[in-house]
Amino acid sequence: MAVLSDKSLPENPLTLKDLNTENPRWCPGCGDFGVLMGFKRFLVDEQLPAHMTVNVSGIGCSGRVPFYVNTYGVHAIHGRPIPVALGLALSRPDLNLFVHSGDGDALSIGGNHLIHGINKNFNCNLIIYDNEIYALTKNQSSPTTRKGHPTMTQPKGTFLDPVVPIMFALGLGASFAASTADWLPDHLVNTLKAAYAHKGFSLVHVYQRCPHFDSQNFDTKSSAWLSFLTHEKGIPPDKRFADKAEIIVHDPGNKEQAFKYADSKHTYLGLFYCDPDKPRYDEMLQKRLAETPPRPRSGILDGYKI
Amino acid sequence: MDAGSGAQKAGDILIRAFAKTGRYVFIEPMIPAEINPPARTRAALSGVIIRVADFDLMNIGNNTDIILAAHEVVLDRRLDDEEHNPNCRVLLDMGDKKLNEEAYESVCKRVSQLGLSIYPFEVVEEATAIIKSFGGRGKNMYYLGMLSCIYGAPEDVVIQEIKLSFGKKLDETLMSKNVSLFHAGFHYAKENIHFSYEIAGDSHKNGKEKIFIDGNSAVSMGIIDAGIKLISGYPITPASSILHTLASVFSSYGGIVHQAEDEIAAIGTAIGSYFGGVPALTCTSGPGLSLKQEFIGYASAAEIPLIIVDVQRGGPSTGMPTKTEQSDLLAALYGSHGDNTKILISVGDITDCFYAPHLARYLAEKLRLPVFIMSDFQIANSYKVLDKLSVFQMETIEDIPDFIFQHFGLSRLPDHIEMVRTEQADPGTPGKMRRVTGLNTDESGSVNYFSMASQRSHAIRNEKVHHVRRALGKPKLMGREEGDLLVVGWGSARGAIEEAMRFCQQEGLAVSGMCLKIVYPLPLMLKEIFSRFKKVVTVELAYGDEYKIPPLAMFLRSQTLVDVEAMISGATGRPITPRMIRTKVQELLSGCAVR
Repeated sequence: MAVLSDKSLPENPLTLKDLNTENPRWCPGCGDFGVLMGFKRFLVDEQLPAHMTVNVSGIGCSGRVPFYVNTYGVHAIHGRPIPVALGLALSRPDLNLFVHSGDGDALSIGGNHLIHGINKNFNCNLIIYDNEIYALTKNQSSPTTRKGHPTMTQPKGTFLDPVVPIMFALGLGASFAASTADWLPDHLVNTLKAAYAHKGFSLVHVYQRCPHFDSQNFDTKSSAWLSFLTHEKGIPPDKRFADKAEIIVHDPGNKEQAFKYADSKHTYLGLFYCDPDKPRYDEMLQKRLAETPPRPRSGILDGYKI
Repeated sequence: MDAGSGAQKAGDILIRAFAKTGRYVFIEPMIPAEINPPARTRAALSGVIIRVADFDLMNIGNNTDIILAAHEVVLDRRLDDEEHNPNCRVLLDMGDKKLNEEAYESVCKRVSQLGLSIYPFEVVEEATAIIKSFGGRGKNMYYLGMLSCIYGAPEDVVIQEIKLSFGKKLDETLMSKNVSLFHAGFHYAKENIHFSYEIAGDSHKNGKEKIFIDGNSAVSMGIIDAGIKLISGYPITPASSILHTLASVFSSYGGIVHQAEDEIAAIGTAIGSYFGGVPALTCTSGPGLSLKQEFIGYASAAEIPLIIVDVQRGGPSTGMPTKTEQSDLLAALYGSHGDNTKILISVGDITDCFYAPHLARYLAEKLRLPVFIMSDFQIANSYKVLDKLSVFQMETIEDIPDFIFQHFGLSRLPDHIEMVRTEQADPGTPGKMRRVTGLNTDESGSVNYFSMASQRSHAIRNEKVHHVRRALGKPKLMGREEGDLLVVGWGSARGAIEEAMRFCQQEGLAVSGMCLKIVYPLPLMLKEIFSRFKKVVTVELAYGDEYKIPPLAMFLRSQTLVDVEAMISGATGRPITPRMIRTKVQELLSGCAVR
């Protein structure tokens, strides 16, 4: 799949420049720069009108993303971007919704909302920026921090095994679960495209570097520790910055196999699972609205007459 | 009766029959917080308190004239409330006597020691047979028959209500058995109970159509009329019935009912909808209010309109879910962290309940702030008869009529209200991309931590509230503009204060009453009004004692520096009655201490 789409461009095409706002206040070398750039490239490739796009985020380094993309945006409170996005999905189905959430935001304080976002399968695209640490609050253990990794709150090493985001998603019946990495720009853009093309709750897990607190986590020089899952219905591999990565054909309809990859010690990138037929909560409510014959409000108290 | 025996249903049918025949009624349900507590225990008490009159009723009244109890345990429990008149008549079903003769004797003794008259009765044999065939259910219809006879409710009207109440789901045979039970009770009372009450049956004849509605239903219909399109909530007593009412009808009016995974998600979804430009509301009660606090402050900072209905119940913590209290005032007002601004509308009767959503929407959108509608268990669950209210079918806040401003005692706000951020466009508007945050920003919307930028945001948010402060007129005084005593309340205390004031003023006491409809902010001239009375006291359903100042008194003191004390403050979960106020006023004005 070509990264740049070949569809004919509108008269005033959206450009990367249109999406610029202010300079991000992230540390030099932060993986968020890569995700932000990939996200903007995706918006340009898909030519999503900026005024019809809403970025919703929680709190954390990734929470600032809405401020760095010139679209509509809601920088909400810690852990709660999913309910806010649902409000928009229910009331404004015409908008394109992207939720930007960190590992702490999505999997710890916002875990309940993630469960129910996945279950409701409402139409939005969740990007989990997983740097395996609470970075903005300065180095505390997060649900995905590796066991034994020392942090400010668990200085002798993080106690627990990390939560595996894709396992979490698959276990809850996610209709779309994919992984990518901040340093693989083409793979990231293509993953976002696949997520956007899927109507439902698309969960995109991004391995993201934090140069400040866990710079050793991802060895981007060698790529033998990761593999690409690919398929005609999936996401093309991207060996440009991962030449040693193995390529595996995986049917995203095969849930059992998806669980095996997700549960492995080895790292897999690509589309683990996709179910285009899972019912959508937002669609059900909107359908109900459309199918209910309207009644005039003049009669609302008639049922209470004596 | 024991919970689950249909006491609420029988009460509901009786008051509908009263209402249909031109009486005014006010009803307060007594509901245990559990679904089916063990029968014949004190925890099982479920019932209704009904006040019926030939004049408009604003409250549940003072004490009861008649108690009908299904057995000795619930009677004993009800007598503990000490809400009976000295000449109260007690009808006690003796059917369970063989289960505990001693307890029956002891409760009958208690009744006579209290100086009340006891009327033991039994369910006649033919009715017992039907009840047996119903597996023990159906006594409620028998009692309904007795009470209908005692209060002169026409049999045909009650039967019609029974049929309406059970609806089509009950087949002919079962329906006729229920009606037979009703007849049996009616005739038993006719033959054996030799007292009755006559309440004129044509008191509605002012030519206006009447409706019969409870507070939460009125709020629900108000939500529709105010043009709100999304309600997002999480099950919680006593707010849930707003969700229930709207769940079956909202889609006919273009609205969505969303049941969220938790209280925090519920308010987040309302905020998301309003950010999208679609009016939304969340409803909750005490514990849910605590959970929503962070988002409430967020809406204030991010300038997203938001409406919150708080149906207060007994606190703290889980407290008493099915009892009334007015103890969330300070939590609503000051609950979220930091200086965050909001408006509090309180509802004191059904009319307020219906129009509060209109005003809340106007204020929320105009000021882009959270607006609370403060209700409570009592007002939410009390039914009453009133003239049919006008509907306004609001599309935008421009449609709000003057009538609603007059009703709540304020004028329209200025056309232009300054916002922290200049750009406030809804998504979908090209070229005006608005990004909101809970962080401090400057007028462009950029995050800004500079000292003057934060000071500016605070000043602008507070100025929004000051606009309302200046728009507020003088609260209506019940009585003269000056005197020895001013009794101040809010919300559901209004009806009791009004009735008590009428009585006290007839007695020549220099007392006036006031009930605040907008609780925050307060009108600017309040201190001046207070200064014209020798003493200002509050009547509120929240705990207070010698050292603890209850919320309304504390709030009024802080805002006026007047030495406001609580005259009535309690956490019994029972509504304030006119008599309680009357007695306290008499005590106070004859030189007794406040408490």
